[in-house]
Amino acid sequence: MKIDIPFLKHIAELSRIKLSKKELEKFTPQMKTILDSAKELQEIDTDDKQPMKRHVPFSSLREDMPGDTLSQEEVLKNAKYTELGFVKVYGKVFGSIEES
Amino acid sequence: MESDKYDLIVGLEIHIQTKTKSKMFCSCPTGYFQQKPNTHVCPVCLGLPGTLPVPNKRALELCILMGLATKCSINSEIYFDRKHYFYPDLPKGYQISQYKRPVCSNGRVELSNSTVEIERIHQEEDVAKSTHHIESGTGLNYSLIDYNKSGVPLIEIVTKPCIKSAQEAKEYATRIRQIARYLGISDADMEKGQMRCEPNISIQEKGKWEYRDGVIAPIGDYKLNNKVEVKNIGSITAVEKSIEYEFKRLVEALENGEEIIQQTRGWNADRGITEFQRSKETADDYRYMAEPDIPVIEISEEHIERISKELVELPNEKIKRYIEEYKLSQYDAEVLSAEREVSEFYDNLVEKLDKEVDSLSTSAKLASNCITGTIFAWLNEKNLSISEVELDLNDLVQWNLALHRNEITKNKAEELLKKSLNDDKNLSELLDEFRTKAEKSSSNIGDIIKEVIEINKDAVTDYKSGKKASLGFLIGQVMQKTQGTANPNEARSILIEELEK
Repeated sequence: MKIDIPFLKHIAELSRIKLSKKELEKFTPQMKTILDSAKELQEIDTDDKQPMKRHVPFSSLREDMPGDTLSQEEVLKNAKYTELGFVKVYGKVFGSIEES
Repeated sequence: MESDKYDLIVGLEIHIQTKTKSKMFCSCPTGYFQQKPNTHVCPVCLGLPGTLPVPNKRALELCILMGLATKCSINSEIYFDRKHYFYPDLPKGYQISQYKRPVCSNGRVELSNSTVEIERIHQEEDVAKSTHHIESGTGLNYSLIDYNKSGVPLIEIVTKPCIKSAQEAKEYATRIRQIARYLGISDADMEKGQMRCEPNISIQEKGKWEYRDGVIAPIGDYKLNNKVEVKNIGSITAVEKSIEYEFKRLVEALENGEEIIQQTRGWNADRGITEFQRSKETADDYRYMAEPDIPVIEISEEHIERISKELVELPNEKIKRYIEEYKLSQYDAEVLSAEREVSEFYDNLVEKLDKEVDSLSTSAKLASNCITGTIFAWLNEKNLSISEVELDLNDLVQWNLALHRNEITKNKAEELLKKSLNDDKNLSELLDEFRTKAEKSSSNIGDIIKEVIEINKDAVTDYKSGKKASLGFLIGQVMQKTQGTANPNEARSILIEELEK
């Protein structure tokens, strides 16, 4: 993977972060250094190693029982803007599509 | 919708909200329809820092059940992945979904003339509901978000690109909805957003491509055309219409020398067209990673065995049985198996009738006529479903037998059944009343026939001069006089006897 300015710009756009040309120039080598040091991990041979992930049997999953919820007032506490019990967000989003 | 030059290739993604009491990864109640916004929400489905998702067992059982019903293999170890994108309806900044190890894979659904291959069924969580507005005064765009829907269990059923027509896509979507309803996995109401269909559509030049190992591959140096994904489809009919529209649009675009870019389009049901929403080139970079907050879940053979006990005979199996064993027509078999409640009622009626009637196909035909005829017509008229009406099986058996033994005419029988449904009257009692009257008519029939012959001299003359059709008229007169209680066969033979004297 080539870590250059267009790549970093793309990553920033995916995260809805605006970076200036100056910032892109500053962060690109930093990002490269971070990824290079993480790359050392990939040199370790893990072929015969189990992934470090806990396993649980199906039967131990949560039973389907409804429980407590927050009040509408509590839910909206962190929202910058609200309207009629909804969280209000400014900005244009692409039409009425729902990602799922 | 045919083209001499291009083939249509469709893959369908269907999302279904499964019927659980609590959400996928938290205990918030799921029934959010028409509830106040942001009242079925907790720190987990609001994506607050420090919270942990805990998978809902029932939700995964329903996902597995859908997989078993569509002949998928069920993975013995499953885990979740994070799908990242930033949008106000997604509070965590990622959706917990499955990428590498779906719960179910490699299944199939049999349709009337084809088989649709299923690539995978995976478990995920629904997003919040957002509506988009423009602020009066400032003219600013804004969205209102309700997190009640956020975290509701959602399964995604993905087919291989093996669907060849809009009609086939529609039949497949209908069948999936039927299976989900039969098994109680979901109500799958598209208008309520419980089921959503997204076709992936492409057109390729005939003879220039092949379907190999579940993918579309070019032959020789042919360059495949990009696919288009259509969203915002609100009904099964719109699945068919949007694909038909898109096929025409793509053919025209290629014929005009345009290049097709990979894109997402929205179906506009009012105008019957698809509209460009966004290009897919960058939007699909979801940066999947394994969800570290949920352990690997082991599914044993015993679990699958236990879940499979919830399977019931599915529509295509019923259709096959109705045609092969019951000798019904394809049409009747499809109508009777369309809803689980109807088919169960039908099966019960046939079973009971079969104890009284000598051949199974006769019982099956009688029960089929009774349900698809009078009962369906009445339900339609009242806009009711079969489960909303109390129908006594034993009464209906008696009704069918009376008809089968020619004790009652079809018209009179239908009249009684309608009367019993309309006035909520006991059908057996109505039949008994009819029988009493019929006996009376039968004992009087000689007198009644003499009277009819007396009054209708013209018809009698016609008959005697060779117009045999006037016999029907005379039988009709007898039936009218007895208010339909006479046995028409009996009336006919006595009439002939009298007329030939």
